[in-house]
Order: sequence, then C-alpha cells, then structure tokens
Amino acid sequence: MDAESDVALDILITNVVCVFRTRCHLNLRKIALEGANVIYKRDVGKVLMKLRKPRITATIWSSGKVICTGATSEEEAKFGARRLARSLQKLGFQVIFTDFKVVNVLAVCNMPFEIRLPEFTKNNRPHASYEPELHPAVCYRIKPLRATLQIFSTGSITVTGPNVKAVASAVEQIYPFVFESRKEIL
Amino acid sequence: MASQMQDLDVLPRVTCPNHPDSILVEDYRAGDMICPECGLVVGDRVIDVGSEWRTFSNDKATKDPSRVGDTQNPLLSDGDLTTMIGKGTGAASFDEFGNSKYQNRRTMSSSDRAMMNAFREITNMADRINLPRNIVDRTNNLFKQVYEQKSLKGRSNDAIASACLYIACRQEGVPRTFKEICAVSRISKKEIGRCFKLILKALETSVDLITTGDFMSRFCSNLGLPKQVQMAATHIARKAVELDLVPGRSPISVAAAAIYMASQASAEKRTQKEIGDIAGVADVTIRQSYRLIYPRAPDLFPADFKFDTPVDKLPQL
Repeated sequence: MDAESDVALDILITNVVCVFRTRCHLNLRKIALEGANVIYKRDVGKVLMKLRKPRITATIWSSGKVICTGATSEEEAKFGARRLARSLQKLGFQVIFTDFKVVNVLAVCNMPFEIRLPEFTKNNRPHASYEPELHPAVCYRIKPLRATLQIFSTGSITVTGPNVKAVASAVEQIYPFVFESRKEIL
Repeated sequence: MASQMQDLDVLPRVTCPNHPDSILVEDYRAGDMICPECGLVVGDRVIDVGSEWRTFSNDKATKDPSRVGDTQNPLLSDGDLTTMIGKGTGAASFDEFGNSKYQNRRTMSSSDRAMMNAFREITNMADRINLPRNIVDRTNNLFKQVYEQKSLKGRSNDAIASACLYIACRQEGVPRTFKEICAVSRISKKEIGRCFKLILKALETSVDLITTGDFMSRFCSNLGLPKQVQMAATHIARKAVELDLVPGRSPISVAAAAIYMASQASAEKRTQKEIGDIAGVADVTIRQSYRLIYPRAPDLFPADFKFDTPVDKLPQL
C-alpha cells in the first residue's frame, strides 16, 4: 500500500518559536518608555514587543534573553529576531545577536480522509493516548524525534516538534498508521 | 516418645523422629506440634497465641479485648510495629498544672503520615459514591506505588489520590467519569486529568478506552428508567458508535443522547436537562449528539422494542 507517493500533503507551519541572547543587561523600564509597540508586564518582569513586518511577538527579559513567537517559517523567525535586536540597539543597548535557536515548531496538516480514533489508539498502544473526556484528539508521541502529534477524527493533524525537519518526518511516519484506521468515504 | 530439639534457626524446629521430612502441624490451642503422618505429638507447651478470654459481643465497635494490636495493613503502611504512649488513667499521670505527663503520643510512622492521610481521604471519597472495598484497595495500592516513586512529588496528594481513584475504577471495569470524581473531590477536573496522565506515564500502564455501555446502568438507575429503556439505550449507543454516526463525540455525550432517545420513545420520558444533570453533560451537548443520531433512529432501536411514541414522532431538536 504505497500511500505516500499518491498524495501530496500540505504541511502548513503556523508557528515557530525561537530564542536568542543579547549578551547585555536590558533596562526594561527604558524599553517600555521609549520603545514602540511594547507592553510592560511589571509583575512578571518582562516586556512584550510586537513587530508588524514579520508578524512576531517577542518576550524580552532583563537578563538579555528574548523569546520570539508567531513566525511562520524558520527564516522569518531569524529575520524577525534580527530586526528586534536592531530595534533594541537603536534604543541604545549594546546588543550582540548570539545563540539563536529555533525551539518549537507548530504545524497543521490535513488528511483527505476521516480517522477512526478508538481503532487507531488500539493499534498504537504505547505511543497513542486518547481521553475523550479530556480532549477530543489522540495524542501521539514520537520519542526519537521529540515530536507530538494531535490527531483529530476529522483528519486534521497538529504537529509540534523541535524543528521543521522533525515535523515533516513525523507526518511521514504517522501517515501509514493513520491510513490504516481511516474511514472510507461511501 | 522422645522428641529431638534441633537448631532453633532451622524450620521446623522439631521433627518427628519417625518422619523427619514431614512438616509439623501446629495446634495452637493446645500448644502442640503434631506430625500429620503418624499423629505423634512432637513439641508441647508451645506458647498459645489464641485469645485469653472468650468474647461474646457481636458489635465490633467496642474494643476487642483479645486483640493486642490494631488491624492496620502492614502491606500498605510501613509495617505497623510502633508503640504509642496512651492517654493515662489515674492521678499520677497528670503533672502540677493539670496537663498530662507524657503528652507526646503523636509521631507514629512520620514517614508515612501523608500516605495515611491520603488513604483516609480516598476512603472518604469512595464512601461518597459508594464504591466497593476492592476499588478502594486498588486505589490505595496505586497511590502507594506512585508515592514511593516520587516522580509526582510536587503535586497535591489529594489530586494524586483522586486520579488514582479514577484509574482504579477504570481498571476494575466500572469507570467513573471525571466529573463524577470531581464531585467528591476538591480538585478541579483539569488537575485530576493532568495527574491522571502523569500517573499513567510514571507507572507505565495504560487503561482501556471507555465505552458507552459502562455508564448505562448507573445513569438509567439514577433517572429511574425501567430495564427495557436501559437496554434500548445501550443498544442505540452501541449501534451509533459502530456505524460511526458520532465521530469525535465523547462516549458520555453519546450515551446521554441515546438515553434521551430511548426515554422519549418509551412511556418514561426524560428531558434533556434531567439527563444532562445526571450525566454531567450540558444539554446543548446532548442536543448536538442527538441531532447526529436522529436521522438513523429506526435502525438504532433494538428489534423487540415496544414504542410508546413511534419513531417518526420522536422530538426533533
């Protein structure tokens, strides 16, 4: 059953989360007062800065660590992170852009068929966990890739993994299992 | 009739001279060790461990004078061989100010105090929903395993206890919904769900999926529906899941919708609100699931069902 070569599945990356360091202490108050498009969360100790061009939200800590979320691809994440570092530099901090790392990638994929979840869980016992009372999707973990897939009965699958490649291979790995437990369209 | 006393470390301590291999039977009332082969009384004046006086009272509430220790379970706690200082009777046990001397009768099994607390809590929770003793024992065992593993040490003990109770009910084949466990516990459903997943990972077990039939008898009895309606509802729900009319719906919602359909077709009608109340589902949820099974209603009913309201007159929501 050579299912993969017939169908081209579109894997849409919806979110890329990355971190980087600025290697210098940041004065959050100054950023909050002088920066554009910032929200200062004083109780937790961080500043949120939202960029428009790559639509990105960055969480900035005073230690100089920054978490960047909302990008739609790895390159975009890097552009956004650099742009952010540039804007911090313009505010007067001695920013050095180091330790850029993509931490999490969230992607969505749609199967052309519906899936029978109870059957799927029975066939994939240790990796799949299904609790209909808690969440309507089956949670399938692929340990070597460190990827988690949420499989819904409509056939749409949400994948989270450490990078885009892991996400793609996770979808490829799960396809045959999901294909087994599909619901045939009459 | 000579008896030979061998080494006290070797069991059995004495052997019958004629049958050295046979294991001696102990008659503790008379204090004898008897060889089962020939009936020879081999050892005598063995210490009697029976009760010292006869007790005739039937009620267990009064202290049983023949028992020396409490009937605690050495399997679960650390072994219950501790001594506590009692309350004290007579004048000598009180010091000058009227306080009792030797006040310190606490600190027994301090290492497992939290565990005993949890067992008490588990018994209380199980009592509220009338769970049988075997489920409570299983819950205690699960809790002990989780507690000893210490991987969930940061979580509230009550949350872990509630999750253990949920797992035990599942494992015994009589699952309770999370909402039912929530009702007898102070922990939120979210937290119980989280602990449940963590415990399954920690103990490396898995549980069977819940089916609609597991809850039918309980829900129908609570609603006061007759056996016919219950059987019809079970059949409807099972058929609906087989035909996959309700993909992605929780089995509880499907069961509730099936009960609604069956009750509406019989003489004992129940409203969606009543069923929702018992099952812990919102009545809009029942409405949604009912809409999905309504088109195939004639196929879902069992063949021998007596309709009070015919199938085409069933309410359409």
